[in-house]
Order: sequence, then C-alpha cells, then structure tokens
Amino acid sequence: MDTFTIALWVLRLAFVALIYIFLLLVVRGLWRDLRAGIASAGEPIGRLLVVAAPEGQPPAGSAFALDAVNSIGRDVNNSIVVEDTFVSAEHAMLTFRGRAWFIEDRGSTNGTWVNGQRVETYLPLGFGDEIQVGQVRLRLERPRIT
Amino acid sequence: MTGLRRGLHRAGIRPRLRRRELTLLLVVGLALVTGWASLAAQQAGTLDLGEPTLLIVYLGVLLAIHVAFLISGRRMDQYLLPTAGMLGGLSLLLMMRLPQGMAGQSLFGTLLPLAPLQLVWLVLGFGLLGAVAVLVRNDGWLRRYKYTWAAIGIGLLLLVFIFGDSRGGQLLTLRIGPFSGQPSELLKVILVVFVAGYLAENRALLTMTSSRLGPIRMPPVPYMLPMLVMWGLALAIVVIQRDLGAALLFFLIFLALLYTATRRAAYVLTGLALFAAGGFVVYELFSHVQQRIDIWLDPSADPLGAGYQILRAMYAFGRGGVLGTGLGGGLPQIGGAPAIPAIHTDFVFAALAEELGMLGGLAILALYGIIAQRGLRIAATAADDFRALLATGLTLVIVVQAAIIIGGNLRVIPLTGVTLPLISYGGSSLLVNGAIVGLLLALSDPGAELPPLPSRRPSLWRRLTGRARDVGGRIEEAIS
Repeated sequence: MDTFTIALWVLRLAFVALIYIFLLLVVRGLWRDLRAGIASAGEPIGRLLVVAAPEGQPPAGSAFALDAVNSIGRDVNNSIVVEDTFVSAEHAMLTFRGRAWFIEDRGSTNGTWVNGQRVETYLPLGFGDEIQVGQVRLRLERPRIT
Repeated sequence: MTGLRRGLHRAGIRPRLRRRELTLLLVVGLALVTGWASLAAQQAGTLDLGEPTLLIVYLGVLLAIHVAFLISGRRMDQYLLPTAGMLGGLSLLLMMRLPQGMAGQSLFGTLLPLAPLQLVWLVLGFGLLGAVAVLVRNDGWLRRYKYTWAAIGIGLLLLVFIFGDSRGGQLLTLRIGPFSGQPSELLKVILVVFVAGYLAENRALLTMTSSRLGPIRMPPVPYMLPMLVMWGLALAIVVIQRDLGAALLFFLIFLALLYTATRRAAYVLTGLALFAAGGFVVYELFSHVQQRIDIWLDPSADPLGAGYQILRAMYAFGRGGVLGTGLGGGLPQIGGAPAIPAIHTDFVFAALAEELGMLGGLAILALYGIIAQRGLRIAATAADDFRALLATGLTLVIVVQAAIIIGGNLRVIPLTGVTLPLISYGGSSLLVNGAIVGLLLALSDPGAELPPLPSRRPSLWRRLTGRARDVGGRIEEAIS
C-alpha cells in the first residue's frame, strides 16, 4: 500500500469518526439535561399567572403553583387568595381531572369568566386560557420544566 | 470591550454566550473539512486538494448565524443549529460529488451547476433559519389567524391543481415567471399551524365524550369535522396530485397532533382505520398506486423499468457495506446516466449510505433523532397548548418526512417521493425546512413567553399591521 491509499483511508475513517464525536458530544449534553430534569421532578402540574390585578394583591406578573384541586377566593382559607373588592369569599374552584383542567363557579356574586365568557356551572380549560375573577385576570400555564 | 458592551446595552441588546453551540459547530467544521479533503483526494487521485471555496462559504454562514444568535441574546436551544448544520454540510459534500450536470439554473447570467446552486439554496435556507429565530418573538400572528392560514394553504393547493407543471407523473411544481417552487413544501407548515391552533382552542372539548357510536365514545360531533376534512384532503392529494408521500405525511402528522392534544388512542385507531380504508379504495382505483406497491413487494419483476431505481438503490447499499466506499468512491454513473435516477433528491440517503457505509447511514438517522429529541423537549417545556402543539408538529414534519423517504430508500415501506429534509437538492425544501428549524429555535426561548402586549404607541408600522389584522379578522369571521 502506498502512502496515498493509506492517507485516503485515514481521511475516510476520520470523517465518519468525527461525525460520531459530534453525536457523542450532543448525547452527553442531552444526558446532563435529562439528569437535571429528573432531579427536579415532583413539580406542580400547572401554574396560574397573574396577568392583571388592579388592587395589586396578588401582584401582576406573580404566579401560583397549582395542585390537582385549587380554591380561589378572598377568604384566607383558599389555596389561592385573591384580595379584590369584587371577589367573593369562596369564588371558584380550579381542578385537574385526569385529562383536562376544569373551572367551576361557587356561586360568586360577580361571576367567573373564561376568555370573556361567563362560567354558568363549570367549563373545561386549556393551557393559555384566561380566567377573570372580580377585576383580577389570571392565565393558566404549563409548569416550567427547565 | 466594556465600551462595546455598554454601547450594545444602550441599544437594548444583551449578548449571551452560547458555548455548547460553538463547541459543536467547531466539531461540525472539522468533520466537514475532513470529509471534503477525503472527497477531493479521491477525485484528484493525489493529496493535492484544490480549492475549498464552497465549503468555506458554507461554514462562514453557519458561524455568522451563531454570532447573530450571540448578539440577539435570546436563550435558545444550542443543539439544533449544529445538527442542522451537519446535515446541510453532508448535503453540500454530496452535491459536490455528484455529476454537476444533474441540475442547473442560470442566475444573473451565469449558469450555476449542481453544487454552487445547492450552496445558494443552503445559504438562503440557513439565512431564513437565522432570521426567523432572531426576529420571531411573538406567535400571535400564527395563533390568531388559523383559518386564514388554512385558506391560504388550500388556495395554494388549488393553484397547483390548475397551473401546476407535471413532472414524473406528479403534479407538484408551480411556475411564476422565472421562479418555480413546490407549494406542497410550504403547505406542510401551514397545515401544522392550522391544526395546532384548532386543537389548542378546542382541546378541552375534544377530550370530553358526549356522543356515542356503538361501543366507541366520541366527542361532540361538530368537533370531529376537521378530522374528516383532513382525511378528505389527504385523499385529494393522492388522487389529483399523485403525491403519495405528502398525503402520508399530512395524515400521520395530523394523527400525532390529535393524540398529543387529547391523549386518546381511540382517535388514532379510528384515523388509521380510515386511512387503511381510503388506501384500499385508492389502491383498487388507481394504477400508479398499484405500481408503487408492486415495485415495493418485488422490484426485480421489472428490473430495467419500474423496479430499476429501487434495485440500483439496493445495489448501492450493498456496495457500501459497513465502512462505505469513501466519499467519491461510489459508482457515480453508468454510461452518462446517474446510477440511481433522482439520486440528488429522493435517493440521497442511498448515495450517502453507499459512500459512508452503514456507520454513516446510522449517524444520519441519529442526527434526525437529535432534532426529534430537541423539538419534543421544546414542546414539553412550552408555556401553553398552542406552542406545545406547534413545536410537536414542526418537529414531526422533519422527522416523519425523513422516516418516510429513508424507509422508502431501504424498501421498508413503499417508496413515495418526498425530500430528505436539509439534505436533498431543492430550493423549496431547504427554505421551508430552514424556516421550521428557525421557528423551533424561536419557540425554545423561554423569554418569548410573554403575552401579546397591547399596543402602546401606534406607529406607522403598527397602523399598517393593524389594518392587515382587520382584514385577517374579517376572513376569520367569515369562515368560522
């Protein structure tokens, strides 16, 4: 075998080897990401972002971590306490049942609204939907995984 | 240095280092240069290599996009650009290696052969990728006008039916003046946007069951309608456009999105049953469908006619073996004609697998696997349903298409002509896939998860976009 043939073989194999080195580097990075994700498991199943709150409590931009059952109202015994003049003491329930989120009005004085539509009994919700109780606007979002 | 940083800050720009992306891009550059050296040495027969202009331009574009990402300061995914860059580089090397006369187009008076032309498309495609990733910070324009997008998509399809050129039995190409393109490439993205928008809006209703059909519980009937429309659209594409690959792709993506949105296996099973029924009817009625299946089952029945292409591809896989023949070492042409017809579009995987061997072929599959992992990860971390479904759908457009054509090349499934994303020759395909990866990158930035802000200062631009929004809104009302 002359030097040219050997050099050609080296180049050919080096090319494929470098592609595999690239893959290896990517997989190492992804593996670290996944490990970091597993370490922070046991997270909430959703979050409720405060879009607007004219009376400033809770402050706009803050978020609540959600459990499977959440009660919304002005009373301190609710899991999500909303300090607003137009919110009833026991205002609404936000629950996750198997496949979808549901919101239920608990006979509030001023009503619960989803995307501008009044909730008569209960309504299914999707992530990105906007809930209004009193003057406070809240948005249902996915939990942050990163 | 601090002065520069302060200047950038004043302009509202906060650069952010992307160390992983840079490392990976360096490895991509090293690999592609090695591959180019191996190709040049093989072709020249000596170690005197010639000039690497095309490759340098390509690597320069990748680096420029990396720098643009740095300056933009967005917290985007760091693996997608190097992976797409590796696929595009493999494409460039392969086009440099294939006979240059296979495709050509005169641009500004100079005739560009295959490799420079592919480089032009790669630069435009990756330019679009970078522009979309840096500039798209709000998805309201995709989300709100889903029916408008669907109308545009169906309009494109109709245009092709009426004005399209027929090539190789498929009605795909649309010519407007000197430009020609394949609208079905764009249609894939539009379809994903529409389905993601529709499902995100009606997801909660679709998961409820209120009507029954025998033992199957179904959601309210009106919400099933789009599914039937999609099924009809897929069949229409097969019948009128004779494009089996696109139909298969559309329907598979639609079912996957439906499952992602509702988590109901019953929908997928119903959809597959519908597809099987439709497929059977089409098989019975149309000869071109029958021919595809017959070639798949037994290509050697007509070795010099219908089965020629797939037989040559199988020989190519065989010649490649485990290590491959080396770039430039494969069998390029038989008596002036390429060894495999359509080797630069439908059969690029066969060409690469011949010269890089089984190891190279598996590496290409792994590269698409990385895109799948990143895309689905972006979907899982997205803030709301629309973004999650959009990211899932966009990822599937690339990955399912790659699976369909690689499966066709390997004779795992019947061959249907779609391009291998980011590798096949072709402008429409490269531009659209570049835009898809760009959108995925834009969606991966958690900083983009701001709600669509109400307009504060109505500038001229805002007033113009406001006017366009009114028109879009009216179309939405008319349709829904």
